[in-house]
Amino acid sequence: MAHVAPEIFNGLILGAFYAVVAIGLSLIMNLTGTINLAHGSFMTLAGYLAFALVSAGTNWWFALAAAPLLTVIVGIAVERTLIRPLYRRDPVYSLLLTFGLSLIAEEVYRLIWGTNGVPFSPPLALQGAVSLGFTYFPAFRLFIAGALLVIIVALVLFLQRTRLGLRLRAAVQDNEMIAALGTNTQVLYMFNFGLGILIAGVAGVLAACLLGLNPQSGNALLMPAFVTVIVGGMGSLTGAVVGGLLIGVAISVTTLYLPAFSEIVMYVLMAVILLIRPRGLFGEEGIFG
Amino acid sequence: MSDVIFQAENVVKHFGGVRAVEDVSLTVSAGSIQAVIGPNGAGKSTFFNALSGFYKCDSGKVTFKGIDITASPIHDRIGMGMGRTFQTSSVFPNLSVYDNLLIGLQSAAKLAFRFRPINPVQHKTIEEKAERLLDFVNLRASARRPVAELAHGSQRLCEIAMSLSTDPVLVMLDEPMAGLAHAETTRVVDVIRKLHSELGLTVLFVEHNMRVVLSLAQRIMVLDRGKVLAEGTPAEISANEAVRDAYIGKEVVEHV
Amino acid sequence: MRMGNRAGLITAIVLLVLLMFIPQLAPHLHLAISICTEVLLFAMAAMGVNLLVGYTGVLPFGNAAFFGLGAYGTGLTIQFWHAGFFGSLGYGVLASIIGALLIGPFLLRRRGIYFSLLFIAFGQVFYFLAYRFTDITGGEDGMNFVRPAVEGLGWQLKDESFYYAMLLFFVVVAILFWLLVRSPFGRSLVAIKENETRARYLGLNTDRFIFVAILISAAIEGLAGACYGLSIMFAYPLLLDWHQSGNIVLMTILGGTGTIFGPLLGSLIFVIGNDILSSAIPWWQIPLGALFVACVLGFPKGILGTILDAIERRRGGFAYEARDTMHGTVSSEREIQP
Repeated sequence: MAHVAPEIFNGLILGAFYAVVAIGLSLIMNLTGTINLAHGSFMTLAGYLAFALVSAGTNWWFALAAAPLLTVIVGIAVERTLIRPLYRRDPVYSLLLTFGLSLIAEEVYRLIWGTNGVPFSPPLALQGAVSLGFTYFPAFRLFIAGALLVIIVALVLFLQRTRLGLRLRAAVQDNEMIAALGTNTQVLYMFNFGLGILIAGVAGVLAACLLGLNPQSGNALLMPAFVTVIVGGMGSLTGAVVGGLLIGVAISVTTLYLPAFSEIVMYVLMAVILLIRPRGLFGEEGIFG
Repeated sequence: MSDVIFQAENVVKHFGGVRAVEDVSLTVSAGSIQAVIGPNGAGKSTFFNALSGFYKCDSGKVTFKGIDITASPIHDRIGMGMGRTFQTSSVFPNLSVYDNLLIGLQSAAKLAFRFRPINPVQHKTIEEKAERLLDFVNLRASARRPVAELAHGSQRLCEIAMSLSTDPVLVMLDEPMAGLAHAETTRVVDVIRKLHSELGLTVLFVEHNMRVVLSLAQRIMVLDRGKVLAEGTPAEISANEAVRDAYIGKEVVEHV
Repeated sequence: MRMGNRAGLITAIVLLVLLMFIPQLAPHLHLAISICTEVLLFAMAAMGVNLLVGYTGVLPFGNAAFFGLGAYGTGLTIQFWHAGFFGSLGYGVLASIIGALLIGPFLLRRRGIYFSLLFIAFGQVFYFLAYRFTDITGGEDGMNFVRPAVEGLGWQLKDESFYYAMLLFFVVVAILFWLLVRSPFGRSLVAIKENETRARYLGLNTDRFIFVAILISAAIEGLAGACYGLSIMFAYPLLLDWHQSGNIVLMTILGGTGTIFGPLLGSLIFVIGNDILSSAIPWWQIPLGALFVACVLGFPKGILGTILDAIERRRGGFAYEARDTMHGTVSSEREIQP
């Protein structure tokens, strides 16, 4: 049983990634109804930007801070020019648009950095293993676990304790009311999108070091993030976290015992949850069920 | 006229922590015209939504024509003879007025789920019904225009006509005067009166406009913060101190 | 039909004649017949998607699952059961319908973007099934199979004759689609797209309508996919992937949703454009992606839709605004529908 423990821990880390990506996606989805199929592309972008910065000689930590911020700038530019016109329209259009963007992005990455991906390592300080008493654990994974935890906690605090966060949550409940109360909804949407991309960016840099960096690496996290949103329940932060962790662990453990089914297990989980509780673990009652 | 056609018993509806409708009971006699009023946030629309099946009641019972419909889906309630309009006219905006009526008429004739075209006889019957509805609300002239193009008052009338297209015996109108200009209000009030006097329908409506309420309703129920505050004839309600207090304490939109 | 019945009928006839002479015209246009066949088949798939997007108002990103199920159903039954030409096609359609029956009940519990999420996710399930069960499906490399002869008659359809067979299917499906859209069922679907709540309050069991629409859409896509499998004699997992879904949805939107000829136009532009581009430049995915973006921002009603609107406006009529708010919700499903 002892040899499952590291798998579970790995699963939790993977799950934390899914949760963080899911949260970013959810923020954008809940407020504006936009399913951002380019979310993975933004993650990959952050990874490549960090790689570029480090290759140009900067410090890894600087890249970790700067790359997500640069990605946010790109994200906001995209939001203002391409996505904003679509808010009032049928969601199929934003699906298509972000899908198109992801195609363009993937090809651009391929042109600039090649098809096969680039090696991007964590800084020397984080390489190697740390003794946890009963076992040795890769330092970088511990760092990631900590970093993701910090992100989640920071986000929760932001949404629950700050005025801006409250405004965001209120806007999700009732767009029109918020506008009537004088909030500039356009700015709010832009900020919301930026926040989602920021989270994606940080996750992207970390994932690039842990899971690899190639033109499609971000997309590989996208599908599990969608499933996480479904399992956890739309609109629920807790759901995203619990759902993500659950899926991460499920995948890791399945990889250990039944490797062929490791990707399907998250869909099986999804189907089971939907049968028992259509709204997801922590989702809210929809009008139709 | 004293038969009970519709009854709600101890209906409760919560949203998370908000107790929107708390233990509300209502009895509606066949052929009567009754109103539900109350200050903003009293839970009137939520109550209507619970009665019409849009929300599932957390507890309580709803009976229509003696049958327990608490768990019935919306389309079944309509089939049994309920009709409803919404605060913001719920229509098919891009379709013509005529086509809007057609959908309900098709549905009532059990022809909606059908892949073959309607035969000429059925078509004629539906057409005639549509014309009668158009005449009832006086929208003949706009029959072929998309509903989105019409003024609010006409849209509301179209919606009322649509609610009639399924041959209801009970019509629930959720704030029929909402968003209407004064001139339009008169038209709609006339139509509502005709629903009751000419068609003999039972009418249950939510309204803020007290003049309309007092002139149309035979019985009034007052909700405040999700609970029943008072119930009675217009005279009784007008004289009721508690009702007046409830309204003065809140922001009330009164169309005078 | 927005084009007016007479104009529509004339266009249809002209088109049909044109399509019948494609095998003769194609060489002069430097087009392989197989590409022309592909245009027809994807137009069929786009019709299936059109039923959902243009007439029911649900987001079908995940539809490629049905397309792929059709192809695999055909391929597998040829491989393992030696099914004939029509038999294998029938099995392909059946596979697709079974897929829809399986996931339909899940999808129906939701609407709006949650529905699309579910559809995308379930679509990917089928993708992974095709990918993983290598012994049966050939996995990533896909499965090759022969094009069987027509049962009883022993005809081996190739190139030209295959094209005409596909054209026949296409025309039949197009006619059935046209009839469906004008039927009471079709009109009810449009009503549901306009305002599902109101449709319910007129007595329509919208869940049932949407479910059947999904089934019909799956059948059409399944047929298209099955034929496509026979066309290239190959089935592979990417046929089920969401990229494929995106392509087909794009064709539908590009041509014009809610129109009868739109899917054909969209398919024509996409399939041929894609073919030319991908052989001309290695980074063809960029213009492809740009096409998605341009279409969404510039031609939301599709090329045909935009043209028809311009004509209607010229005539002084009311060009129906593309009222795109699906079910009126932008944020959550909990908003009360008007």
